[in-house]
Amino acid sequence: MQQSNLFSKGIKILFYVFLGYFGYLMVLITLQYIPINFDVAFLRIKQDEISKTHYQVAFFMHVYTSIFVLFLGMPQFSARIRIRLKSFHRLTGKLYVGIILVLAAPSGLILGYYANGGIIAQLGFLVLALLWFYFIYLAYVYARKKEFDKHRKFMLRSYALTLSAISLRLLKLGIVHIWELPPMDITRIIAWGGWLLNLLTLEFVMWFLKKRKQQITRN
Amino acid sequence: MKLFGCLFIALLFSACSSEIKNDDIRVEEETGTKVSELTIEEKEEIKRDEQCIGFWVGDFEPNFDEDDEVEDAFRFDTETQTRTNKINISIDSLIEDKLFGHSVVAGNDRPFSGDVLEKVEENGQIISYSFVGREPGDHKNDGVFEFIVFPKENKMIGTWEANKKERVYKRKYELTRKEYKYDSLIMLDKTNRFVNWRRSVEEVTQYEDDGKMEEWIEEKYASTTDKIFKTNASKKLLKKSEVENLTKGDLEIIRNTIYARHGYSFKNKIYRNFFDYQDWYIPVHADITKSLTEIEKKNIQLLMRYEKNAKEYYDYFGR
Repeated sequence: MQQSNLFSKGIKILFYVFLGYFGYLMVLITLQYIPINFDVAFLRIKQDEISKTHYQVAFFMHVYTSIFVLFLGMPQFSARIRIRLKSFHRLTGKLYVGIILVLAAPSGLILGYYANGGIIAQLGFLVLALLWFYFIYLAYVYARKKEFDKHRKFMLRSYALTLSAISLRLLKLGIVHIWELPPMDITRIIAWGGWLLNLLTLEFVMWFLKKRKQQITRN
Repeated sequence: MKLFGCLFIALLFSACSSEIKNDDIRVEEETGTKVSELTIEEKEEIKRDEQCIGFWVGDFEPNFDEDDEVEDAFRFDTETQTRTNKINISIDSLIEDKLFGHSVVAGNDRPFSGDVLEKVEENGQIISYSFVGREPGDHKNDGVFEFIVFPKENKMIGTWEANKKERVYKRKYELTRKEYKYDSLIMLDKTNRFVNWRRSVEEVTQYEDDGKMEEWIEEKYASTTDKIFKTNASKKLLKKSEVENLTKGDLEIIRNTIYARHGYSFKNKIYRNFFDYQDWYIPVHADITKSLTEIEKKNIQLLMRYEKNAKEYYDYFGR
């Protein structure tokens, strides 16, 4: 029992180190777009789109708010914070929910519509934005209903999608180093793979833990 | 949590932006192709009324004898191919046995002048002319050409020796006369040697030979796609959809093919090697900026935009 405790503690620390490092890289990525400049980084190859006002609004709204979503989600995992600093948990949680529902997910939907890589990639990003919105909406509803088990599950799903910002970039890097695909083919793969992998992993882990718990109680 | 906080702060201070993006990039616009720098005023009209006048084109190869003082690297070189460049020796005028011309090779456009040394006649017709042509001598690679032209056989044979005995200072050539005309429809020839080309990556393998460890260095070329044979950036304005899925290598080759159509003589060794193997390619100018069409200028800008993006972000974490 002690050993497995140590093990899970190790995994937690690793997870935080991972989040910290890649969160930091995401901050660097965000900083590329400050101050507002239409001819930099990703926008350099989105010249047709960035001339449209609604794309400008959506792009910078998404970039400037999503980074907060990523960091607001991090402290929610800590049971200690959830129990001892309830009000902190509620405040950051509400901010997390509010930013996604009002700003990050709707703007993500617009970006998804204009995504590079054709219909396959567009669909991938659109489904991602819709699920992001839907999961966090359900998570909020369950919290209000005090159904905390379901609240927890949908929060985890929501954060799995939030982390697609990191995972899709890592996936791209992985593909590039194994097989030098043309850029739009990569976009099509990560438009789906970038978040599906997270979600499927999460579902598997939840299923596995539930099964193990059932076994333990049965014994 | 404390641990995580400390680590995060430590990372904030230690890392820099090169982790998400490749800062060390250069989208190369060779000096003679810069759209912004327009220099050539008018193209020289070249008289072609005589048998020897015109562009003589072919391989300009290293040529060393046994007893020449030269580093082995330049004599027995696995890279010999890359030291052979396509040359264009242009005989511009020949008046009263006075020779004027220029040569274009490896990005250098150098004039030469000289004399007819000997004419061989048979039945009142001149069979061959022997020439000597000297470059002005104020450039580090200047030297002296000696060649014989056989007009009937459409052949020029000769040698060149640099004034300074450095690197590859002796060369030979066998050239044929070719006409150059700009044609926006010319496409890359598929029989080209370096079909898969991007940049060379050196792969070192070690093996044992008579108890000694030896290294075998292999150059690998990778990653242009078939699109380099289908995408013409001189004919019409390229659409975003035609450009966005091109690899880095594709983008570079498609852009440089524009310059090659105009007879640009490449300074970059790798591009030179690639285009020298195209039969239609003739190095004519060291600067083609003025002759680029409006369509080409716009396409060059578009291609460079994507090249820059590919170089900065393709194999990096993000943007």
